[in-house]
Amino acid sequence: MSDTKEAIRSAILDKIPGADVVVDAGSGGHFTIQVVSPVFAGKNMVESQRLVYGAIAHLMKGDGAPVHAVDKLTTKTP
Amino acid sequence: MGQRQKPFKAMLPDTVKAQLDDLIKKNKVLLFMKGNKHFPQCGFSAQVVQILKETGTKFETVNVLQDPAIRDGIKEYSSWPTIPQLYVDGEFIGGCDIVKEMYAAGDLQKKLGVEEKPVTPPKVKLDDGAVKAIKGADEGNGDVLRLEIGPQFQYDLYFGPKKPGDVEVVANGVTICFDKQSAAKADGLVVSWVETADGGAFRIDNPNEPVRVKSLSATELKKWIDEGKKFELFDVRTDEERDIAKVDRARALDVEGEKALLALAKDTPVVFMCHHGMRSRNAAERILREGFTQVYNLEGGIDAWSQKVDSTVPRY
Repeated sequence: MSDTKEAIRSAILDKIPGADVVVDAGSGGHFTIQVVSPVFAGKNMVESQRLVYGAIAHLMKGDGAPVHAVDKLTTKTP
Repeated sequence: MGQRQKPFKAMLPDTVKAQLDDLIKKNKVLLFMKGNKHFPQCGFSAQVVQILKETGTKFETVNVLQDPAIRDGIKEYSSWPTIPQLYVDGEFIGGCDIVKEMYAAGDLQKKLGVEEKPVTPPKVKLDDGAVKAIKGADEGNGDVLRLEIGPQFQYDLYFGPKKPGDVEVVANGVTICFDKQSAAKADGLVVSWVETADGGAFRIDNPNEPVRVKSLSATELKKWIDEGKKFELFDVRTDEERDIAKVDRARALDVEGEKALLALAKDTPVVFMCHHGMRSRNAAERILREGFTQVYNLEGGIDAWSQKVDSTVPRY
């Protein structure tokens, strides 16, 4: 489980360098993600979340995906 | 085959794209979800359906579970990896989180062109113990006390930032903020503080909750007996187990016991017990379906009773 957490974190950091990323794992492949970065400035929620989802899409693909659901995704500017 | 690889097209075939284009164009409000609006098959989809129903808008749904091509295709189409997905007037709105937030702020209603329904602030009570605990936890950093009530009546009581569209209620001198959906499920709610083995905890009683099996601790059961409260206690264990250890008050749920139980008034408080609380919970769920409204499970069973209440009852 912690491997997946780390995989999520590094995938987001690849896409949004320097971001402050906090990943919490719930049960059954459910995750809560918070990302703080200046890149979200001027973006609406869909655009901001797309940026993050885009970074981790490969972890969410298919039925056996390590990330089953993201319960809460928060994007903020510092 | 000798085909050149076209990675993007491979992910979203033209036929699927055309199908999605058509669906989204033809339906003003369209929700891609798991299940349908009558039987959502995922909690996130259920929440969005609930919100759309509350706005009073007309909407159509597409069950992605019925078509793997649509299920995978819509994710590529929207560049959004999760279901549900809401489209309004051809525009991708977002998933569950975004829809919830937009609904709370009134933005979703604007987008849908429906009037924002005023929410009547619920009447809520807080006992003094709860007020004391809340004041003790307030860090004074400007956060407000929020109470969220989930689709299955899960409660989340916490300090957090005030949000647009919040419904504020003052109870016993404390301000509580609800989002609209939670407010609609909170009228008559009571928050109290109960002492527990590890300090204390909030207890929330909400008359809006659908009837379900309630938990009863061994000490609460003892209190009921001492207070002379009127209730029935049924033991679902085998005779062999009852020979080892039992609570005098409890009646065996054998054929005779079952008959007596079903003859009771449906609003009689009925408590079920077993060894650790698992078998009795099953029995309690079953009896709930018979129409009983006050069904309790003795959590931890007779084992908890031996440890917390009566140490003369042997453990096994």
